Amino acid sequence: MAAATGVAGQSEWEVAVPEKPLKDKTYFENLKAKVIDTNLCSRCLTCAAICPGGITVVGNKVDFPDYETKCLDCGACVRVCPRFVYEPKSGLGDYIEFIAGRSKRFAGQDGAMVTELLVSAIEMGMIDRGLFAGRDEKWATEMFHVREPEQLAITTLGGTKYTFADVLPALKEAVGFTKRGVGIVGTPCIVSGVRKLQQEYPIFRERVKLVVGLFCTENFHYGDIGKFLQEKGVDFSKLIKTDITKGKFIATMSDGEKVKFKIKEVEEIVASGCGVCTDFTAVESDASVGSVGSEKGFSTVVVREEPAKKVIDFIKEKEHADFGEAKPEELDYLINLKKGREKNINSDAASS
Amino acid sequence: MKMKSMKKVVGPEYNLGDKIKTNVYAVGVAMQESVYPHTATVFYPRERKKMPDNFRGFILFDPDKCISCFNCSFVCPANAIRMKEAPNKRYYPTVDYGRCIFCHFCIDSCSGGALKATKIHDVAYKDMDAMFTPTEEMIELPEIIREDKKYVEYEIKEDDLHLKRTKGEDYLFVEVPPPKEIPMVSTCIDPDSCIGCRVCAEVCEHGAISASVEDGGTLRMKIDTDECTGCGLCVKECSMQILMLNKLERK
Amino acid sequence: MSNQVSIPLIEPMLDSLPEIPMLQYMVAFMLWKPIFALLICPGLTVGGLSLLFFPWIERKLCGRAQWRVGPHEIVWWLGGVIQLLADSLRFLFQEVIVHKDAHRPYFLQFPFLSFMIFLLPLLFIPAGTIVAIQTPYAIQIILALVCLFPLFILGFGWASNSRFAYIGTVREAFMYFAYEIPFIIAAIAMIILYGTSDPLLMASRQSIPGIILNPVAALVFFIGAAMATGRMPFEIPDSDQELCAGPHVEYSGIAFGLIYVLCYEKGYILSALMTILFLGGGSGPAIAGLGDLSGVFWFVVKTYLVLTTLFMLRAVYPRYRLDQGLKLGWSPMLVMAIIGLAISLVVVAVRVI
Repeated sequence: MAAATGVAGQSEWEVAVPEKPLKDKTYFENLKAKVIDTNLCSRCLTCAAICPGGITVVGNKVDFPDYETKCLDCGACVRVCPRFVYEPKSGLGDYIEFIAGRSKRFAGQDGAMVTELLVSAIEMGMIDRGLFAGRDEKWATEMFHVREPEQLAITTLGGTKYTFADVLPALKEAVGFTKRGVGIVGTPCIVSGVRKLQQEYPIFRERVKLVVGLFCTENFHYGDIGKFLQEKGVDFSKLIKTDITKGKFIATMSDGEKVKFKIKEVEEIVASGCGVCTDFTAVESDASVGSVGSEKGFSTVVVREEPAKKVIDFIKEKEHADFGEAKPEELDYLINLKKGREKNINSDAASS
Repeated sequence: MKMKSMKKVVGPEYNLGDKIKTNVYAVGVAMQESVYPHTATVFYPRERKKMPDNFRGFILFDPDKCISCFNCSFVCPANAIRMKEAPNKRYYPTVDYGRCIFCHFCIDSCSGGALKATKIHDVAYKDMDAMFTPTEEMIELPEIIREDKKYVEYEIKEDDLHLKRTKGEDYLFVEVPPPKEIPMVSTCIDPDSCIGCRVCAEVCEHGAISASVEDGGTLRMKIDTDECTGCGLCVKECSMQILMLNKLERK
Repeated sequence: MSNQVSIPLIEPMLDSLPEIPMLQYMVAFMLWKPIFALLICPGLTVGGLSLLFFPWIERKLCGRAQWRVGPHEIVWWLGGVIQLLADSLRFLFQEVIVHKDAHRPYFLQFPFLSFMIFLLPLLFIPAGTIVAIQTPYAIQIILALVCLFPLFILGFGWASNSRFAYIGTVREAFMYFAYEIPFIIAAIAMIILYGTSDPLLMASRQSIPGIILNPVAALVFFIGAAMATGRMPFEIPDSDQELCAGPHVEYSGIAFGLIYVLCYEKGYILSALMTILFLGGGSGPAIAGLGDLSGVFWFVVKTYLVLTTLFMLRAVYPRYRLDQGLKLGWSPMLVMAIIGLAISLVVVAVRVI
């Protein structure tokens, strides 16, 4: 019998097969029954990222067209879905440093610290690409691989989008060909999806080096929010910034015109999965960034893990950003607001 | 602004004797060539220049050796090779000679040794559409009308070019011995990242990869190194890109 | 000398002719020296054949010097000899395009008028003993007529009214200044040497050919002929790589055909002149049976030899620049022409003494 030699490879191996609650259905049908149809699904798209078949977004829902013939029943979607066995995270989380930062070279939502963190990680050599969300001509999100600081001249890369971006499918692709590592930025649901991927499959542990989380209360589907803004009179060809502060949604146009309305008006088009999300500050990330907790023009940065600390030290050494004080107390209101959504889980979830 | 490194360039100086000598020599060479010419023209198609054996020309195809690995199509730098479905449900290459640059990367990368080289370099077509060669036309040599009675070789003797004309026809198809096969098999380089989708097992043409569910909820994947031909289809199709071809050492 | 060309070879045939009435007069007319000189040699037939034949010879010889084959495919087993016939057929069928900016009457008429300048000197050039008009001033008349050639080139270059034609025309005018004076001085040197400018008398005085008597003048005349016909290294008005075709650029069809052969016509006349002045023009061992035609034969051989050498230079030399050509015409050639003049004065003095 012959043995294979070369780069350490194996001809025989075992794969753990996950539990199937509904034994006579495929894994996707299980996922659908437990997570998607019960409105637990946060549209993080971790399942779509790992699925070799065709899990994708149809309209505003995650679905698998033709799953009867095309689902391979491998169980990967069930293994990586953060809400299949839901352990909700909440609170401020552990951190090494809690500061406010303002980048000297980039422009973003507040202090552009997300952009600064990822670009500095590229310059340090920690990662070779960062996954950013930009906009196409119809103002829908599209994913970019940023490998050099010069690419940030595309102004739509920075700034909060307030709509879903397909970060994790782009991450799965990037992991296939990255040499040094990938850095991503995402909402707390995306961060928990990445951590589940890293827990299940070592390739994501090796190749995803920096995970930046965002402070998030809720998100909107592109179709819904796009239609709403157009009805309010927003011209997408001139739109440069969207902001939610102090209970108001403010859309700023390039000629200085602003469209404002109260947040309560968009409550009905909030995505359904956000109603059961309790994590405001993305407690599982390497660093969390948001606007609450620091003064105008600065972003709050919650440095949690070693990789992010190294990047912040690099930024301080190269003096790419100004730093100031951030107040953790200012986050309490929103943290408690999201923690209160725990009660929605018990009423919605099927028995786990 | 004069820089220190500037030098004035002057032409070479000749005296009158040298000038007259070179003039007379030049005219003398012209007269000599008129009488005894060293014409270097090859009178194609009545003569043909003898091409070396590894001249890169028209590409021949043997369907029996093809394993449909698509390597030729992927490696072609000019995108000249398209794989088309044959009646027996397998995919065979077709070459668009309008794009082909005759680099023969496809022949070098053919896993089964199905593509072969010939020395034919002068196939004529009536229009651009005819240059797209379907698989059936690649199996046999194209129709050749041989008008040549001699073949010509260039010889360089004592710094001078001579044409050596030999009567006969130059052969166009060279039998090249197939390259020494290095057996490669597919192996998994990161088994813990396998998601168990079993796409590799499905796509394997030779049934070398097997997936079986055992009691206790584990999936056992096995690559049979005897059956594996190293075509690389599973490596391309693996969802997590964790399969790789490795050299096989036979004990 | 009698007025009829005598060819012993066909004498018997001619003697049997009187039976047929009109033919006798026609043959006598043809063999009348002026008409013979005009129509056959050195007139239309031989001249016309040289126009058909010489471009082919030039292309073949230049090809041989450049390790390639010249015209080959038309009648390939003959070496493509009728290539020029094919070319002229093509010129006949091609459309003559007169562009909007051209001065139309001059544009179309100059090519045909230039043909006239080719025909006129042929009346004065003797081949052996056959000449159309015999006058003691023949050489001067031929030189004067040859000097008119560039005027026609300037004429149709200017009538073309286009930039490249203008540049080529100006270059042609410059070159005209460059070669004309040394050329004429060399011819005058030979006239002084022989003491006459009647070509038949010149031929009889060349027991030693003029090229040995006065090699400097021969060299100056040869280079002047190269400049005049626009042959390498002096293909300046016509520089293919720079100006496309100089003054000829706007012509197409039969008009271009006529202009294309203009330079070969000029070459023919200048070679004939060179044969008369320097090579003995027509003199040579008599070939039995040809009678007067042997003079014609030697004349043709010598003219073709000079023409071949002139055209073969194309394969050997690159092209001079305009300013180098002008400098050549005024410095070395003028000096050498005057030296030639001095040499011929010395030779005359020596011979007379």
